[in-house]
Formats: sequence, C-alpha cells, structure tokens
Amino acid sequence: MVSSFCWSCLTRLPTASPRAMLPPTLTAQRVAAFHTSGTLLASPLKKKANPQSSGPGYRSKQGVKLKKKKHVERARPPPVGERRALRKRIVLSNPNALEVADMQDISADNMVDSRLRGTILGLPVPMLDQLRAVQAFKPKQGWSIFRRPGTVTRRETLELGRLIDGISDKPEDKGKVVKRIITGPKGTGKTVHLLQAMSMAFTKEWVVVTVPECQDLVLANTSYAPLSDENPHLYVQNQAIAALLSRTVTANKNVLYKLKVSREHSALKSPVKPGTTLEDLANLGIQDPATAWPVFQALWTELTATSPASGFEKDFTPRPPMLVAVDGLAHWMKDTKYRSAKFEFIHAHDLVFVQHFLSLLQPGKNQQSALPNGGLLLYATSASNNPSVYSLDVALQRVAARQEGVDPSSPDYPAPVAYSNPDQRVLAALDSPKSSIPTEGTLELQKISGVSREEARGLMEYFARSGLLRQQITEEWVNEKWTLAGGGVIGELEKLGRRLTVSA
Amino acid sequence: MVFILGVNFPERNLVKKSLESFFGIGHLTSSRLLARFHIHPTCKVGELGNKQVLDITAALSDMRIENDLRRQILDNIKRLKETGTYRGRRHALGLPVRGQNTRSQIKNATKFNRIERRI
Repeated sequence: MVSSFCWSCLTRLPTASPRAMLPPTLTAQRVAAFHTSGTLLASPLKKKANPQSSGPGYRSKQGVKLKKKKHVERARPPPVGERRALRKRIVLSNPNALEVADMQDISADNMVDSRLRGTILGLPVPMLDQLRAVQAFKPKQGWSIFRRPGTVTRRETLELGRLIDGISDKPEDKGKVVKRIITGPKGTGKTVHLLQAMSMAFTKEWVVVTVPECQDLVLANTSYAPLSDENPHLYVQNQAIAALLSRTVTANKNVLYKLKVSREHSALKSPVKPGTTLEDLANLGIQDPATAWPVFQALWTELTATSPASGFEKDFTPRPPMLVAVDGLAHWMKDTKYRSAKFEFIHAHDLVFVQHFLSLLQPGKNQQSALPNGGLLLYATSASNNPSVYSLDVALQRVAARQEGVDPSSPDYPAPVAYSNPDQRVLAALDSPKSSIPTEGTLELQKISGVSREEARGLMEYFARSGLLRQQITEEWVNEKWTLAGGGVIGELEKLGRRLTVSA
Repeated sequence: MVFILGVNFPERNLVKKSLESFFGIGHLTSSRLLARFHIHPTCKVGELGNKQVLDITAALSDMRIENDLRRQILDNIKRLKETGTYRGRRHALGLPVRGQNTRSQIKNATKFNRIERRI
C-alpha cells in the first residue's frame, strides 16, 4: 500500500490534515460562501428521471395506446380507363412541325420504286384509321414530332414491297407464302418494318391480321377457359380472340364486306346463311365473346378457302392474300402467368390462340400451304421487352443455319448446350422442314440492322425539312451521326435528330 | 352486386381481394381457388359468369372458414386448458405459450392469450 507520506521529506507531520496542507486560495474558490447544497454543482442539462414516464412496469396492465387516425380527404381517383388511355395514347401529328412539301404517300406504284430508297414515304391519311385499328403504332415511337407520319424507305422496305407486289399481281408468284422471323438489335426498326408491311398490304387490299403485343396474351390479364371437355389441357382466351376479330374487322372492312361465306360452319351455334358477308360472320364473335374461337376458326377457313363448297358457288369470290404480323414473339416461348386447375403454370403453346399462329410457321397440311391464297407471315421479336428464352435463341440459330444450307444432321447444326434443358416444344415450333408445296417457302430469319449512310442522310434531311434540326446536312455531319448511332441504328438516329441543337 | 357465400360484393372489386376478405383465406388459398375455376387473377367480380359464382360459393361452403374456423381455434385452446397442458395454462394466464422469455416484451401475449380469445 502506498502511504500518503512522502518518504523523501519527512517534514510533514502525521497529525496535519490534508485540507490544511492546501493553499488557502484554492479552497476558497471551490466552496461557495453560503451554499452547502450540491444544486449548483449539478449539471443544468441533466433532467430528473421520472419513474412514471418510462413505460409500464413489469407485467403492469396498460392498454395499447392507439392514435386516432385522422380522416384525410383524398382527391377522387381518375375515372376508370383514363390513365390507361393516356398511357396508350398515340399522337400522329404535330401542327408545330413544318409540312414537308414534296413528300409522297405510299402507293401501289412507288412501293417498288428503288429510286425512292432513302426517302420518306408518308402514310396516306385514310389508311391511318386502319393502321390504328391493327395497333401498328406504338406509344413510345416518335410519330408525334412530325407533321404527319411517314417511314424511311430502306433496302428491306423495297425488298418487302417487291415481295408484296409480286404475290398480289405477278402470276408466277400467285399463292406464294413467305414466312419470316424478324430479329435485330434494339431500335433498328423491326416494329416499323411490320408497319410498313401492313401499309403495303392495305394498299394492295390484302387481309391483315395482327397480334400487336404477344405479351398481352400470356400475362393472365384476359379471361381463359379450357377449350372443351375432350381437350382439358388446351385453353381458349375468348376476350382476346374477340379483340383480334374486332381489330381484323375494323381494319379490313372494305375487303371483308365483299366476301361471302363459302361453306357450312357446323361448329357455330346458329347456322350461317349463304350470302352472309365475312364481316357479319366476324361480328358474331365480337358480339358474343363466348363463341369467339369457333367464329375465328370459321373466318380463318373462309379466308384460306380456295374453292366454294357445293351450293355456295354463286357468291364465291377469290380470297385475297393475307398478311399475318406478330410482334414480341419471345413471350410465346415460355410458361404463361395463367394457372391450370392443378395450379401449375400453363405453357404458352397450350393456348389455342398462340398455337394457331405458331402452327402457321409449319408447312401446311392436306396438300395446302399455310396460307393457300398466298401471303406473308412476319413474326418479329422485340429487343426492349424481351424475356430471355434460351430455347428460342437456339431455335433461331437453327433457323439461320438451315437458311444457310446447313443440314440438320451435320455437326455444324447449332445444338443446345449440354444440361441446359431446352424447351423441346419451342425447338419443335420453329423447326419447320421444307414444305412439299412449291409455293410455300420455308421459315427464314431476317436480321434487321442499321440503315445505310444514304438512308441515314435521307432521314436527317427529313428532320431538317420538318424544322426539327437546324443544321447544314453535310456528308461529314451525317457520317458522324451515323457512327454515333451505332452504325445507323434508326432509333438512335431519331434521338440525335430530335435533340435540340442551337447553332452559335 | 354479386353474392358470394352470402356476402354482397360490388362488381368493380377484384375476385381475388373479395375472396381474401373471408377469414381463413389468404393469398395462396385464393390463388388456388381462382386457378381451380380458371379465373384470371385480374378478374373483377362483375366479370364472373353465373356458373363460376356458384362454383366458388360451393367450394367456399365446403371449406372451414369464417366462424367455423374461429370456433375451431377457440376449441383448440379450450381443449388444451381442459386437458391441463402447459400450453393451456399459459393461455389462461395470459402469458407467452411457446417458451418465450417473460422478462419484458410480452405485450402481445397479455393482449391475445386468453381462454376466450377474441378473433
């Protein structure tokens, strides 16, 4: 133990108290004159703890304190469908943009004219209603910045124009069926390519059937039901089919009202009288969606009919070629959000609607091609709204390989990676062998990429003439923008063209 | 307005939400019910066919929901008490039943654990 003494100096007496040892001034500072309590020494910040406010004690009864909710007056929600209408609104005209003086409309004559490559062809105003009906325009496309809608005539467009012209008018191409899957990077104009095909088909008075968004059929947003008791694993979407019929009728009214039924349709509830137009036939399904699927089948049989049944010869007119355009194909290659009665997800190929359109890619049955009156099947994939389906990637590689002449038995033929467990139904759906019918083409893959520099220049000049771009369009400037746009990706070119540029 | 199991639902309501308003039906049960009768998840009550409404009502009346389920839960607690189990005693005392500490934080137990539990 340490002693309080300092052993080095023994001057301190053991009787002296420590207080007496301190210097007197120090003691005076510490002790206030009249105060003996410690109140002054206590910190003013420290509050006295209240034993009552520290919550209930151990197992003491205390009710739950519930704050009364204040009733907040909320604004009324917008009427049903208003927000959706705003989201899906398509504006096709901008009165502030300049009118481009000598812009031609697309017509039967100029859709095959290769001199027009790189120019903008307008869509005729009467056709806009038809194109709107088949939902050819998408809300995110930049139609609203120009005076009136128009599309670039690019190499693929002219090729498409020649194809459509040939199938309609040339006797050697009569009844020809071309089946294509359109792929390409984002913003390269796959959907607009479909739109161009539709506009050409409308000018040639074809029948246009479209599925503007494949995803709508698999999101479980429309009603579904088993097809019949015999086929419990096939499902029919009556509302979606009624909507398809409605689109088809509205867009193709001036073709369908001229065509009359050519046979009995036993699947329909009430027998169709001879002399009924196809428009009236389709309207049956629109009015009563419960019968939409049999009506659609009947309409399809009528549109693909090559000759009338006996007793119906009087009213028969040859059927026009057909264009079938489907956008966003990848959504049809996987499980849907629908559930079966056993609570399992339903595969998209089990929906009759999807099955019908995918079966067209296969060679036709009964010595008839998929579209006996000729026509075009254009199935586009999407790059912006694209579920990743490995089996589809492999299937598309296979289509491309077959197109290049690779034999399916050869080792170069693309095969899925081991243990990747690909969906065999997807592979089978796009595995279409060569048809025995000479007019029916095999399934092709068309890859759309950027436009050429000349086409880019045409597009940029169109921007300038619409008053959107205040810039001298020179070769050098176009080349720069073409490169900036990833080699003429048209969606990127549009972004560059509409960007506000202020010249110094 | 559509009657499902004696309850009147406005037509604009979702079928799924309407089913979940019954005591004893949650997300999974309602999804399974919808799948069983081929009703899509965004279906409104007004879009149901007559047969579907009857089917749902029939299926619901076979299930133990609402008061039946409440009674079953109360009976289970009562049975525990009557057989003199530890769990029954804890229910009666208003204490945690499943071995939790009781030093603090047993507000919910004191609130809920009763013989005549309010459900």
